[in-house]
Amino acid sequence: MSIRWSVLALISLSTRPALAAETSFEYCTVCHGANGNGNLAIRAPRIAGLEPWYLKSQFAAFRAGWRGAHADDAPGNEMRPVAVALSEPQIDRAISYVGSFSPKPPPITVKGDVARGQQLYAACASCHGAAGQGNESLHAPALAMRTDWYLATQLRDYRAGLRGAHADDPNGQQMHAVAAALPDDAAVNDVVAFIDTLR
Amino acid sequence: MIPLFTRRRFLDLAGAAGGSAAIYQMALGLGLIPAAARADRPDLAPLGARRRRRVVILGAGISGLTSAYELGRKGYEVIVLEASHRAGGRNLTLRHGDLIDEIGNPRRCEFDPDPDLYMNAGPARIPGHHTALLGYCRELGVGLEPFINDNRNAWVQDEAMFGGRRIRNREYITDTRGFIAELAAKSIKPEDLAAPLTRGDYEHVLAYLRSLGDLDQSFKYRGSLRAGMALHDPSAPDVLKQPLDIHELLQSNFMMNIMTFGEGDDQAAMMMEPIGGMDQVVAGFLRKVDQHVRLHAMVESVQVKERGVRIVYHAQGVRTVIDADYCLSCIPVHLLSGIDNNFPADFAAGLAAVPRGKLFKIGFQMKERFWERENIYGGISWTSQDIQQLWYPAHGIHRQKGVILGAYTFGPRTGEMFARLSNEQRLELAIRQGEQLHPGYRGYVEHGVSIPWVRMNNMLGCAAAWTDELRQQWFDLLRSPVGNYYNIGDQMSYLPGWQEGAIYSAWHALADIDRRERQNSQPAAA
Repeated sequence: MSIRWSVLALISLSTRPALAAETSFEYCTVCHGANGNGNLAIRAPRIAGLEPWYLKSQFAAFRAGWRGAHADDAPGNEMRPVAVALSEPQIDRAISYVGSFSPKPPPITVKGDVARGQQLYAACASCHGAAGQGNESLHAPALAMRTDWYLATQLRDYRAGLRGAHADDPNGQQMHAVAAALPDDAAVNDVVAFIDTLR
Repeated sequence: MIPLFTRRRFLDLAGAAGGSAAIYQMALGLGLIPAAARADRPDLAPLGARRRRRVVILGAGISGLTSAYELGRKGYEVIVLEASHRAGGRNLTLRHGDLIDEIGNPRRCEFDPDPDLYMNAGPARIPGHHTALLGYCRELGVGLEPFINDNRNAWVQDEAMFGGRRIRNREYITDTRGFIAELAAKSIKPEDLAAPLTRGDYEHVLAYLRSLGDLDQSFKYRGSLRAGMALHDPSAPDVLKQPLDIHELLQSNFMMNIMTFGEGDDQAAMMMEPIGGMDQVVAGFLRKVDQHVRLHAMVESVQVKERGVRIVYHAQGVRTVIDADYCLSCIPVHLLSGIDNNFPADFAAGLAAVPRGKLFKIGFQMKERFWERENIYGGISWTSQDIQQLWYPAHGIHRQKGVILGAYTFGPRTGEMFARLSNEQRLELAIRQGEQLHPGYRGYVEHGVSIPWVRMNNMLGCAAAWTDELRQQWFDLLRSPVGNYYNIGDQMSYLPGWQEGAIYSAWHALADIDRRERQNSQPAAA
């Protein structure tokens, strides 16, 4: 609790004190749900359990406009102003706030051909690990126990150029290339259905 | 795309062409379906001195406040948990210094401190037949004044006609109707009239068309005083305006909606607004229930128990557990979906299935009430541009300054487009488009506020965007209690986007609680 409160106090510094007195700025859980476990209804993925280094990199990506700036990316459009409004120290505090959440296993919502997905996953495993555990040194976040519909959305967004299309975003560009190599749209669901088995 | 301009139809039928609601209303009008009994205000049985019932209400919107008021005065112990810094939900009036709590973009309303300089960012008009809300206004001492919705002196402006030049609403309506009436009068023949019409009715049909279109003796439309005079000079004979080019008028889609907007069930005169701002309704309720409302209280968990409901909420750094006999929640279902719960799977799926509306408003404080010099006192000008409509205040007439509504958009795409922009970009776009209706508009703007409901903290939408299909699939389920838990709010009514719907949703749930309590208080059979 003390962690949470100190985070909120710090986030509030970005605005006039009078503003901070009136609003709690508990933005993370308004959209991402109680304990950051996600809310499918508004396409907000689970953030509980995400690696701090990955959260940091994604705040930076939203701030830079590599994510959430494309007109067809409505959920990203919603996240971007939040990232832009926070200062660097506030982002660090927000990340430790997310670290205080109690993660729940996300529901399985994506249906696909698991066997085909397993074959396709070979292209993912070199960076994200055979068990989807992630690899910080390669800037590859864990995929296991992530929101499956979100993974599918992101793969489609990478394929469509809504994410990973910016020249200054080499990690995103790499994902764009890998996602573009998936043979078809069904392959997105197949590979995510396989990732769902990595629990 | 042809926009649907009546709020209720937009909200009810978004995405659906036609829709069964319209058919139902038509059938009802024809006497084909017996009208259902109205769910009137429940007369709750007072709890006896020895009985104690605790009700936790999630959300201090209009339905939550209604519930707290009704239950509290009958002896129920109530607590209202509100996540926001204020009560009222989408009933939001913005004045000098008020917080605009947009996620990632909080700011202040910079209007001058003045009782007439406010903007109703949510509901802004009350139809004369919204008797539930009007009844509470009377009971709670909320003063009302006339609201002007339809104004024939206001403008219509459409890029598709007259090169985008604005014309008066009265000219648009009168000249279009004159043409159509002339066309009908010249086309219809006595032998066209089928039973039950008789040959004898023919003359009456013609007389009606003449009156409808203000046609001359030869059924020719040659202009009408209804379109306004070329010059208002009571010392000289009337000079009619020349009818506008009908080909140009026909290029506009306004005839599909704007012409009849002010005749809609929920939009026709006489309408009301609370004196001093719509949030006077909230203030009225709070005079009765303020002591029960806890602000900054974020609900984290809703657990339905065998008897009662357990709520966990978080406020001021402290997590608190409440065990209540009943729970009523007007939390938007799309946000409730992200709160820990033990609802049945189909109920939980329903919470995530209802799309959220993305209505958007802008308000401008204008340093002069320039529109009054154009003979516009209250009402709405319509445009085919993104901003869709301008509203002129019906209060503070002839004062120096006024707050006008500089945009009010219903469609999700437009709402998303505005939400993507920064506050400054939104205002700039609205000013640029406002110039098309009022040359020199920019020069009058002193302060602006923008309200993208889809981005407002603890709301993230306005209102539940039910379609006929979704209603069929989910509405009854989501309105039915889970144990002692009830969804309420305008989202749980057939009138989403109106406070009247919110009140009826509360009445519906309260009547059920009352029924159960009356059953429980019956002495056991011997």
